[in-house]
Amino acid sequence: MFPWNYGFHFGIASYLFLGAFYIVLIVVATTLLRAFLRARRDLRGNRSEGIRWQSDFHDLPPADRVCRHVLTGEFKQRECPNAFDCRQCATHAKLIAHRPAAPPVEAESQIFGMSFPSGRLYHRGHTWAHQEPDGTVTIGLDDLGTRLLGTPDEVILPEPGTQLHTNGTAFRVRRREADVRILSPVDGEVVETGGAGHPYFLRVKPLAGTIDMRHLLRGAELKPWLMREMERLQLALTAEGASRPSLADGGIPVRDIAAAYPQTDWDAICGKMFLEP
Amino acid sequence: MVKEMANTVDKSFITRGVKRCSLPKFLLWIAPWTALLVFGLYCAGLCLVKGLNQTNMDNRFAFGLWIFLDLTVIALGAGAFFTGFLLYILKFKELKAVINSAVVIGLVCYSGAMAALMVDVGQPLRAWFTFWYPNVHSMLTEVTFCISCYLLVLGIEYLPIVLKNRKLRDVPGFLVFEFELHKLVYVFAAVGTFLSFFHQGSLGGLYGVLRGRPFAFREGIFAWPSTFFLFILSAAAVGPSFIILTTWLVEKITKKRLVKQRAFDLLARISGLLLAVYVLAKTLDTLIWMNRTSPAHGFLASQFYDWKPFGTWILFAEIVGGGLIPTLILLTPRLRAHRAWMISAAALACAGVALNRFVQTVQTLAMPTLSFDKFLSYTPSWQETGTFLAVVAYGVLVYSFSFRYFQIFPEERELKMALLAQPPAKELAELAGAGRY
Repeated sequence: MFPWNYGFHFGIASYLFLGAFYIVLIVVATTLLRAFLRARRDLRGNRSEGIRWQSDFHDLPPADRVCRHVLTGEFKQRECPNAFDCRQCATHAKLIAHRPAAPPVEAESQIFGMSFPSGRLYHRGHTWAHQEPDGTVTIGLDDLGTRLLGTPDEVILPEPGTQLHTNGTAFRVRRREADVRILSPVDGEVVETGGAGHPYFLRVKPLAGTIDMRHLLRGAELKPWLMREMERLQLALTAEGASRPSLADGGIPVRDIAAAYPQTDWDAICGKMFLEP
Repeated sequence: MVKEMANTVDKSFITRGVKRCSLPKFLLWIAPWTALLVFGLYCAGLCLVKGLNQTNMDNRFAFGLWIFLDLTVIALGAGAFFTGFLLYILKFKELKAVINSAVVIGLVCYSGAMAALMVDVGQPLRAWFTFWYPNVHSMLTEVTFCISCYLLVLGIEYLPIVLKNRKLRDVPGFLVFEFELHKLVYVFAAVGTFLSFFHQGSLGGLYGVLRGRPFAFREGIFAWPSTFFLFILSAAAVGPSFIILTTWLVEKITKKRLVKQRAFDLLARISGLLLAVYVLAKTLDTLIWMNRTSPAHGFLASQFYDWKPFGTWILFAEIVGGGLIPTLILLTPRLRAHRAWMISAAALACAGVALNRFVQTVQTLAMPTLSFDKFLSYTPSWQETGTFLAVVAYGVLVYSFSFRYFQIFPEERELKMALLAQPPAKELAELAGAGRY
């Protein structure tokens, strides 16, 4: 059967069997090696955060991957093909060119009883980014995100000098059993950390030139997005047995939602709301 | 304190957003299976140390419970290759919901079969001889090579499921390797299909070429007897049925909905279609064997069914009970839509293929073939039974751990949300009655 065996002779059967067998082994080994080499390249290229988000996004239910233009009614149904990075989206560019977003106005706006200043730009993972006059960008949790986590037990912020990437981990927050990573709304290098007592969690400077923020939600997009987020929250609370399905009654979320549902699996709720399945 | 720590560690490994039973309850569930596994390992150890005299097999009755187990689990585990083929090559996206479960089942079935085969062959220290000094004239060589390679492929396919564990993916190396490996999984699916196609066939071919056993001998095309093709067809047909059955069983045990109806429906349709082709081919094969092959060897086919308890009922049960009836149920949309009918049909199809493998092994060897030969009966020894049960316990344990700590059913969370988002029918009726809805 094999050249090293006593009595081995080459024939069609030997060629076919050995050929198929060795091809299979070579294909398996090559594929495994290819995956290994790609993984090594990713690690060396510091791409693990981007891959984490790609993997998380892939695991989100289809309803949570919906395009921002569905929220505003421009599309009836569309799943985001770019993992919420509209900077790479040709469709988004076309729609924006057709109907440019209104310039941000510094004003306090209340949506469903929560504060969403219109001068800020919002990420779908419940963070905001604000362009400061000195060219830096401040990053914080939006009001719904803040209410979900209440007073955190622990906030793990990156060291100044750390490079953040859009949709990568900006910082981690722990509250009760929940331990969630908060997605970074922008690319940048951390220059200052905030947290308790500060209006922001991080201040970042651009990695090169200016920070591209086309992918962040703004203006008229906020209300429909928040309406959907409130629905998602209600569904998540229902799924965790915290409440029964109910009709909207006009109420507003309490300051510390986590404290209002002490028996609920808060890790599951936060995972759902902060897009970490 | 220790209990609290164990609970915290246990919870940190469980997928976020899914509900699993408490750790003590889980330990209570795995305790009897672990005991069974330990007992089975003791039995297997006895067979390996003291030899096959621990079994009730002998030179005359050389195939027994273990070969029946091997052939059956390999046929049932075919769901792994076939589902992979349908999902990654033919792009049946609905099957994404069951592919992880199929891989775990395939891995359990094939590794269990390999373990049982190793005990059966004996001399574990010389196991490598199979690969180094293969017998060129044996179809078993192809089977050994293909099954070993496919087990390797299944192990690689199982790796991303393990590495996707919530805690393990915190390690960047595991995260990126899982991501990159998953992108190439279609290659493994294709290789798995190629390997499965051949070893399922060769396993069938093993019996079809037994010229000295007219009950099993079949004509065919070139070197391949008809059983070569029948084994491939039957395995591909019952693989999806076994996935339906196991998924339903897990749903019942855990009291959760894990897979959407459309995935069940697609699996049932595919299983039904392939079963239809198989039943037709098997019927034709049986008719040719009865009217040509067997008489040409000097036997009337009816003679083989004179030996009780293997009367004609076994042929009827295999083709009609385990073939035709489930085919008709699975191909009838109205019946298929009822969970009870679908599950019964899937169970019948699996039982049918198990019976087929039993007939091919145990019944074949029980038949006398020489004038001085007599009908033999065979009852496995407790050591054989213990080893058999160890494989079953091993399968339950691997699946239980996989279900608890890995994301076996990706739609589970979504279904939980969808189910709870709907007000219970009773409440809706009450509200409607009160004019409030």
